Amino acid sequence: MRTERLIVAFGIGVALLSMTLPLGGQEQKGDKPAVAPRPWPPARLADGQPDIQGLWAAVGAGSVSLTNPVSVAVDFDREATGKDVRLPSRIIDPPDGHLPYQPWAAAKQKEQGAAYNRPTRPEHIDPQHRCMISGVPRLYTIAPQFKIIQPPGSIVFIWDEYHAYRVIPLDGRPHLGPTLKTWMGDGRGRWEGNTLVVDTTNLRAARLSYTGDFHSDKAHIVERITAVDADTLNYEATVDDPTVFTRPWTMRVVDRRRPDDEMWETACYEGNPPPDQWLVKPGTERR
Amino acid sequence: MRARIPSFLIVAALFGLIQTSAASAAAGAAQGAGTTGIPRTADGKPDLSGIWQVMNTANWDIQDHVAQKGVPGGQGVVEGNEIPYQPWALAKKKENYEQRATLDPETKCYLPGVPRVNYMPFPFQIIQKPNELTFLYEFVHAVRYIFTSGKPHPPGPIEWWLGDSRGRWEGDTLVVDVIHFNDQTWFDRAGNFHSDALHLTERYTLTGPDHINYTVTVEDPKVFTRPWNMSMLLYRHKEKNFQLVDYECYAFDYQHLYPFPEIGAPK
Repeated sequence: MRTERLIVAFGIGVALLSMTLPLGGQEQKGDKPAVAPRPWPPARLADGQPDIQGLWAAVGAGSVSLTNPVSVAVDFDREATGKDVRLPSRIIDPPDGHLPYQPWAAAKQKEQGAAYNRPTRPEHIDPQHRCMISGVPRLYTIAPQFKIIQPPGSIVFIWDEYHAYRVIPLDGRPHLGPTLKTWMGDGRGRWEGNTLVVDTTNLRAARLSYTGDFHSDKAHIVERITAVDADTLNYEATVDDPTVFTRPWTMRVVDRRRPDDEMWETACYEGNPPPDQWLVKPGTERR
Repeated sequence: MRARIPSFLIVAALFGLIQTSAASAAAGAAQGAGTTGIPRTADGKPDLSGIWQVMNTANWDIQDHVAQKGVPGGQGVVEGNEIPYQPWALAKKKENYEQRATLDPETKCYLPGVPRVNYMPFPFQIIQKPNELTFLYEFVHAVRYIFTSGKPHPPGPIEWWLGDSRGRWEGDTLVVDVIHFNDQTWFDRAGNFHSDALHLTERYTLTGPDHINYTVTVEDPKVFTRPWNMSMLLYRHKEKNFQLVDYECYAFDYQHLYPFPEIGAPK
């Protein structure tokens, strides 16, 4: 039984590695990356935006859990040794670091939390392991880097995995009609000093971590992305979703600047069999 | 009393006029014939930024084709309408056509290849910076970079779905050299195909503020007997507040499972 669990965990580990490691040859791209020092306070672009363009990556990245955000490697060790590891929660409000689920929702999360590394049904496979787009705010927790581009009047985030991006207009235009749900949500931004405030609606219901954290399609998210210094961003998202939670909650992730470089194609599900064919093991439920 | 205008002022005004017209003539010459009145970036290059889409039926068939149920008939985008397949490749194209319902990579939702991704029935957004253009596609959130920094293609072999794109400006035309493809994508739903030796030369030319003339030279010595060309227009979306939404093709088969089957995707 124990061996079987390890094999499944190993399978997931390999799947994750194959999804997160760059393709062969990607290491040796082009010239050596240029590390150009950035001015602080940030330079202003022609349209008045603080210039935070470039490549960024989350510190302590990983999508295992929002409340105990261990890396995939630590999660694998934990599964192999049976020794738990606790890290500070990404949740900064409520102050106890827990997600304020309604009881029915807490039960759903717990169910998935017990099944994610021992999937017996298709829904136990995390959508990220299928290479499905993870949406907002989850993409801000993943390990692969992302890129910020600031064309006049908007800001664009492009992730180096899942071919995922979002374009956030800054011109004050209204949101999409409320029935038009999207994977990345519909963000509308404005700058308050060096803080980009994004109001995001029109989200599909989505998972937020491997361990079953989730929001519904009623979620309304306000993100505050603050340039703390030339090489650090503070990302905070306040999620208001009265269908699932008893009160709004806020998560935080810190991003560090990465050396400038070309971002290249990242295919994910392309050419791969669906993970159901080799991850799902009916009849091996945890007891 | 008649007001007297000092003669030096008249001379100065005339000189100013001449200077202004000379300056605009020079600007006109720099822009090239027929490309006045197009948007330009701060560095003077034609500005391709915006949301674009074709108005043709090339994704169904890049050659002339009659209508079928669910397939709009249309004029092809292949110059001369002839695709110079080698004999074995023409046979394979016919086989692809017969089995297109299951073999077309579009049905698997994969990144659809270049140039097909540009003429699918979905809008895409171009963001132009001096060293790179970023193409964001509504179809599967595909992202394509065209590097204009002067760096060469990385050494191969690399098999990418959308290839490696290196662009340069020839006058007011963006010329893009694309290599490093895999052999898994098609040109259309009619089974037109290529190998991993595909080499494209794309040309993007703004013919006015809202139209890009888009041509592609296709070379693939493993499949074709000679290079051939496609030509079409890209139209700017002008609707108020128009934006990309999404077509997350691959997710359609799984979205009912998340976040949990009983509270799955919107109906």
